Amino acid sequence: MTALDTWLKQATRHLSKDSTAQVRTEIQEHYESAREAATQNGATADEADRLAVHDLGNAKKANRQYREVLLTSDEAKMLREGNWEARAVCSRPWLKWMLLAMPLAALFAAATLFFTGSPHAWPLFAGGTGIGLLFAAPFLPIYTPSRGRVFRVVKWVVLLSVFGLAFGKDSQTWLWLGYSFLWPAWIEWKRISIRRKLPVSDWPRHLYL
Amino acid sequence: MNFKGTLPTLILEALRREPSHGYRIAQRIKERSRGVLDFKEGTLYPALHKLENEGLVESYEGVESGRTRRYYRITKSGHGVLTKDRAEWRKLSRAVTTILGEA
Repeated sequence: MTALDTWLKQATRHLSKDSTAQVRTEIQEHYESAREAATQNGATADEADRLAVHDLGNAKKANRQYREVLLTSDEAKMLREGNWEARAVCSRPWLKWMLLAMPLAALFAAATLFFTGSPHAWPLFAGGTGIGLLFAAPFLPIYTPSRGRVFRVVKWVVLLSVFGLAFGKDSQTWLWLGYSFLWPAWIEWKRISIRRKLPVSDWPRHLYL
Repeated sequence: MNFKGTLPTLILEALRREPSHGYRIAQRIKERSRGVLDFKEGTLYPALHKLENEGLVESYEGVESGRTRRYYRITKSGHGVLTKDRAEWRKLSRAVTTILGEA
């Protein structure tokens, strides 16, 4: 393994396959140019190799910087499989219609319970609204970054409100259920990072939501 | 000399007149600073990708001496940011010179 191979291996650690290929190509090009320049200045082949790799600097530092601007393997996987739930649902039409009918049924039941004065009307209304918003997302005209931002703010406000509305005064007792928000929050955090790294023109539909 | 944080501005300045590839950008910065601004070239590309993600530069493939290379050119927003950065740098530089000049 050459010194350049070792440098590249360290610099591309945890990067996605595409990012790794991109880094390899650009660094290889740079290395060839640096090597040629050193040879023209009178360096031997070995010296030129050594100088070209030395000028690239610390591979670990470069890796940290690359991971901030290029997709990592985890992020690429999330981008590929990020909407697997939606794809799984959409591939079964009966499941799609059943899930879309759920929030409508919940809202209808909430309205009925509201008129009968039942205390379960509000939790049911909150649940129906929250689920409705999540299921309706793919059908909404959200295809610009600003609309996506507005949708995400509304989504989180609604989700947190649903929690408050569903449990009312007992919210404090059921606060431990808030841990269930950790997973969607982590997904949201990763998506923020992906949005920063990808040009808007390359965003798949689910990255807007 | 450590010039952390100014590399993106220096890259934009290096691309102001004409598109260029990574190696030439690095050499241009080093030559124009007469070797004072020496940096490790492995850090140039992450900075270029960041500028590209922000829409300040765009890249395309070109051929030089029979070799395919990735070229970068500054965008309209990149020109705007460069003008703003230059004005801020002059202001900062004047302020530091005034303080150090007093010592």
